[in-house]
Amino acid sequence: MTRRERNWLLVTPAAAWFVVMLVLPLSVIFVFSFGERGPAGGYVPAFTFEQYANLPARFTAFKNTMILAPLGTIAAMLIAYPLAYQLAVRTDPKWKIILLVLVIVPFWTSILIRSYAWIFILGGSGLPALLEMVGIEGVRLIYTPFAVLIGIVYGYLPLMVFPIYVSLDRLDKRLLEASADLGARPFSTFLQVTLPLSIPGVATGCMLVFILLMGEFLIPALLGGGKVFFVGNALVDLFLQSRNWAFGSAVAFTLIVIMLVTVTVYMRLIARLHSGRQDISIM
Amino acid sequence: MTHIPIDLQYATSEQPDARPPIAALRNVFKVFGDVVAADQLNLSIAPGEFLSFLGPSGCGKTTALRMLAGFEAPTSGEVLIDGQVVNTIEPYGRPVNMVFQSYALFPHMNVADNIGYGLRQRRPRLARAEIARKVGRALEIVRLTGFEKRRVWEMSGGQQQRVALARAIVNEPKLLLLDEPLAALDRKLRKEMQIELQDLQRQIGITFVLVTHDQEEALSLSDRICVMREGRIIQTGDPQNLYDHPKSRYVADFVGTSNFIDGRVEHVADGVATLATPSGLRLQGAANAGLKAGDEACLSVRPEQIHMHRDAAPGSLPGTVHNRIFLGEHTEYLVQQPALGSLNVLAPRQGQPDDLSFQTGEPVHINWNPARALVLSPD
Repeated sequence: MTRRERNWLLVTPAAAWFVVMLVLPLSVIFVFSFGERGPAGGYVPAFTFEQYANLPARFTAFKNTMILAPLGTIAAMLIAYPLAYQLAVRTDPKWKIILLVLVIVPFWTSILIRSYAWIFILGGSGLPALLEMVGIEGVRLIYTPFAVLIGIVYGYLPLMVFPIYVSLDRLDKRLLEASADLGARPFSTFLQVTLPLSIPGVATGCMLVFILLMGEFLIPALLGGGKVFFVGNALVDLFLQSRNWAFGSAVAFTLIVIMLVTVTVYMRLIARLHSGRQDISIM
Repeated sequence: MTHIPIDLQYATSEQPDARPPIAALRNVFKVFGDVVAADQLNLSIAPGEFLSFLGPSGCGKTTALRMLAGFEAPTSGEVLIDGQVVNTIEPYGRPVNMVFQSYALFPHMNVADNIGYGLRQRRPRLARAEIARKVGRALEIVRLTGFEKRRVWEMSGGQQQRVALARAIVNEPKLLLLDEPLAALDRKLRKEMQIELQDLQRQIGITFVLVTHDQEEALSLSDRICVMREGRIIQTGDPQNLYDHPKSRYVADFVGTSNFIDGRVEHVADGVATLATPSGLRLQGAANAGLKAGDEACLSVRPEQIHMHRDAAPGSLPGTVHNRIFLGEHTEYLVQQPALGSLNVLAPRQGQPDDLSFQTGEPVHINWNPARALVLSPD
């Protein structure tokens, strides 16, 4: 077997997986999005832009996704960074592993169950009842965009913590000493050394969380109570309830295009911010 | 052996300097958990001098340097810089700069931004043009003019080393601290950088404090060397003084190479000790202060102090050439002596006719001037 043949053999499983699980379904969705809904649901072949023309019908779902996904990403980043910093820079190495495991512990339970817990916490007999006891009445949390935001930040926080933790942990601590030695106070050191060098981790974490949030449907369904719809919820509805595959495909394809554009612009920005840096590699 | 008067003029190890010290350690202790990293360090550093801390890893030399930089606070005692006690002053408040072992250059900044980093921290702020001018001057000093926009990770080890130096000296610190700055360089580059460091120090007149485990480096660079062991400074002196008058076997062994012959002091008279070896030989050498009859001791004789002859001379000892390494200017012999074991002998070539070089297996006679041998306490 030549070297060339061996190389082909090595990439074949991945290539096959890629074609069957990604390219094929995407092609199907692309074709379906120009079709029509059959009388009893499903798909009837056609070539029409009718489904795309109908997109404004799902405007609210797109709006909610496009607002709450970036907002959730930013909120998760703001919460995760200090946590990751504390773990990577300030924590005694012998505690690090234990604390890191604690960060993943929530993943041991299904997100469904954890979201139900949040339904209770944010529901009438949870936080609002507590607030009532201190005299703040009429607070409504559950089934609001805010509840969904809390849910997604909670659910995706560990995914944000890890890449940031890794980049901060990898940071050569002697650079911090060098900075102090050269006259920079701790906060200046943070701004001039720590933060710029942890950007790769922040960028990776944000991308990871943002992409997953764009496709989220479970948390909005549970904590939004049918009032805060994501595109994901619209898709569930179109494919499983109303069986309008053609329209569903158009919605799905539009979401993919939006995501591609956003991620490309984002990567370009990050790359430009750190042009020529060897220590940066996004994902 | 005959009694030979010995020249016992020891150079003083702490040269008194009229100027006030630029930095000093006063009774400094540093304890990490139950490890004593610095044990009663007392030292004055004169302005403009090149001082080295020399010792094996774990001897506390880096701790001493880090206490001067402010990365560690002494457990007790005082660290003084320019007459001020700086124990509680953070590194960013001290007029000292450090060149780190691995350089610790900022990977996200180019060469000029790395070098200007310290200047950019100054308050009130320095003008951009002023910073650029100083950075340009520093690059000139380390001979990297034109490298301003280079990425630091694109540069060779020697160039990175020079950037690290420039980043420190551009701030005109009172003390420049160097933590094994040449350890990561290959041998040839290390030699070049040693010469550059020395030139640089003369040129800018900043006080240098170097930490190294490389005796050759310490000997060739320093005005003064502190030999450290287990957290203590065990001897301080200029290189020649340390080499010629080590106070203990440890120093004689760490600074240069030496032959050691163990034995017991028989008597001490006029600063000359007579040592009885287990094999029954009587050997003489300049006595280390404090040695008295009956003490365990060792005789230290440098390889270049041993002379080799074809014929027996008064007081010479017979031996056999066991090994011979031709080093150009010198030839290094390993001579097997029945009573003393293996001895290193370094014979200069100069002035010796070719037929005087000895072959492996050849019987020889060795002797040395007892005035050039030292009787030292064994540790």
